[in-house]
Amino acid sequence: MSGAASLDLRLPIGGLFTALGIVIGGYGIATNGNAMYETSLDININLWWGIVMLVVGLIMLAMGMRATRRHHPSGAVEAADSPMGRATESREHTTGLES
Amino acid sequence: MDIVRQAHLAPIDYVVMAVYFAAVLAVGWLLRRLMRTSTDFFLSGRSLPPWVTGLAFISANLGAQEVLGMGASGAKYGIATSHFYWIGAIPAMVFVGLFMMPFYYGSRARSVPEYLKMRFDEKTRTLNAVSFAVMTVFSSGISMYALGKLLNLLLGWSFDASIIVAAIIVLVYILLGGLTSAIYNEVLQFFLIVFGFLPLVYLGLTAVGGWHGLSTQLAALSTSRGFAPDAYTHAWRTMGSASQNPIGVEWFGLVMGLGFVLSFGYWCTDFLVVQRAMAAESMTAARRTPLIAAFPKMFFPFLVILPGMIALVLSGTHGIGQGLIPAKLTAAGAPLLDGAGHPVLDYDLATPMLLMRLFPTGMLGLGLTALLASFMSGMAGNVTAFNTVWTYDIYQAHIRKGASDSHYLWMGRAATVAGIVLAIAAAYVASAFNNIMDLLQLVFAFVNAPLFATFFLGMFWRRSTGHGAFTGLLCGTLGAAVHHGLTLPAGAVPGIKGGYLGVIHMYPSEMSQTFWTAITAWLTCTVVTIVVSLATQPRPDKELHGLVYALTPRPRDNERHFWQRPMTLGGIVLVMTLLLNFVFF
Repeated sequence: MSGAASLDLRLPIGGLFTALGIVIGGYGIATNGNAMYETSLDININLWWGIVMLVVGLIMLAMGMRATRRHHPSGAVEAADSPMGRATESREHTTGLES
Repeated sequence: MDIVRQAHLAPIDYVVMAVYFAAVLAVGWLLRRLMRTSTDFFLSGRSLPPWVTGLAFISANLGAQEVLGMGASGAKYGIATSHFYWIGAIPAMVFVGLFMMPFYYGSRARSVPEYLKMRFDEKTRTLNAVSFAVMTVFSSGISMYALGKLLNLLLGWSFDASIIVAAIIVLVYILLGGLTSAIYNEVLQFFLIVFGFLPLVYLGLTAVGGWHGLSTQLAALSTSRGFAPDAYTHAWRTMGSASQNPIGVEWFGLVMGLGFVLSFGYWCTDFLVVQRAMAAESMTAARRTPLIAAFPKMFFPFLVILPGMIALVLSGTHGIGQGLIPAKLTAAGAPLLDGAGHPVLDYDLATPMLLMRLFPTGMLGLGLTALLASFMSGMAGNVTAFNTVWTYDIYQAHIRKGASDSHYLWMGRAATVAGIVLAIAAAYVASAFNNIMDLLQLVFAFVNAPLFATFFLGMFWRRSTGHGAFTGLLCGTLGAAVHHGLTLPAGAVPGIKGGYLGVIHMYPSEMSQTFWTAITAWLTCTVVTIVVSLATQPRPDKELHGLVYALTPRPRDNERHFWQRPMTLGGIVLVMTLLLNFVFF
């Protein structure tokens, strides 16, 4: 059974960076021109880095979704996800056919 | 006590942290239904693609100690700190991928100690398993202590609350998703650390006028400390003799001690990192794991060492110190001075101080979250290695043989909880008795130093025996202790720094002493293992198939593209590392 493969890691990473990009970039827009950017050499680092993270996050999400669709065409259910499949797998475990 | 300026976090910084916590917990939650057998829990069902295991391979090692410690060393020693990567990690990572992984993965051992059991005998395995288990608990405890102290100092958070909240989050996602969850989160944390530190390095370099500006300012500092002007910005030029460079080592001790013994001992035999490769989906994927890891690893110096160097020259706002780095304080709150009247710098604060100096609200939240992430990935790495070694190599081997798989799965979960509780206890021991932790780290260095000799002889010399390996390991550790007890670094008094058996040699620095201690341990272990092996009965060849180089068919690389083959990848890694050494020669 290749269980872990059924969650494409690019999805959570993409999700995290999309969210971070929106939060930090949005905050950058709201605070544009604020005196606090003196610390970061007058660069609105929140806005710029927020955009970078948003783009990276969206690319990761897109890649992850494409790969997931290819592995699980709509309608098809993985053996381990159906009640019958699960029953078969647990039989295999108890008889030692699968470790 | 106003030497360290405390940061004040705005609500937006807490939102950033909350987003990260939600993401790591979500990963554990999404993976929970896949944990059905002990193999799923301890080995990720051997199903992960190599880029995932590769990034986890370096991320598990990228704890808070590494991120803060490398920044501290950057401030102390300059760019020569990159030897810990280019000499002290990459060659060993290439070696483990190309030559040792076939035995770890191919033998179907479930842990590194279990390989020792297959190759040698039960006692060698138990020795390795017990010392490793103790070591993981204490290293995550030390790391927790460091982080709790840092958050308390920078943010005024409660030490207890910081440790317990972080420990609970790690506990929850490992219980839910086992090793897969730990590995997935390590990759997530890897990206977060990179994205948290890249803008810091960019802003820092801009602030000091680029690499050129940094070199000019460090040159002045270097001359004032009695070194050549380029000692902080060149990695090799001043390695000719120990007195010419801030590290205080000469090239032979560096290459032999760090590059060979310590580095190979860690990257090739430590189950914390090897476990990540063992979770890969195939032999080729397992062999490619450390090689893929080597690519980002060779560029880490720019991410974690440069901040320390920049903090040294960027002007700060506080009183006594150097650049942004404050002086250590005495118990009475006054700056600590050394013999010559100079302040003793608190180098561990170099990176956090730079973070607070350059990041505005918002990005500051991201930078601190990256620090938290590094801590959690280091801790999760230790905990997953601990629960596996405990369950397979101690519990199943000695306490309860032949129980059902679901029993061992249950034990793995119980060991996860116990491991974290023990690590928290260790963190409090560290906060109460600082010297005890120094002592423990010293003992671990003695235990680790001879290990590579044992594995190397086991894998490449079929005549080596279990009695030989066991005696060699013990004598190697003893050899390290004796060498340490008979030598002393310059300026130290006999005690925890060495010399407790009488001083017969003085080293120019502590680093130099450490490297030679490791070399002694490795030599002792090699000689004793060979002598005892020759005097004892070897195992017949037919029992060693798949465990020893001469009796194992060469792994065939059946990758379609030549650049995906481990040999090609290893070659590219080595050439690139060599180039980096030339650029910063």
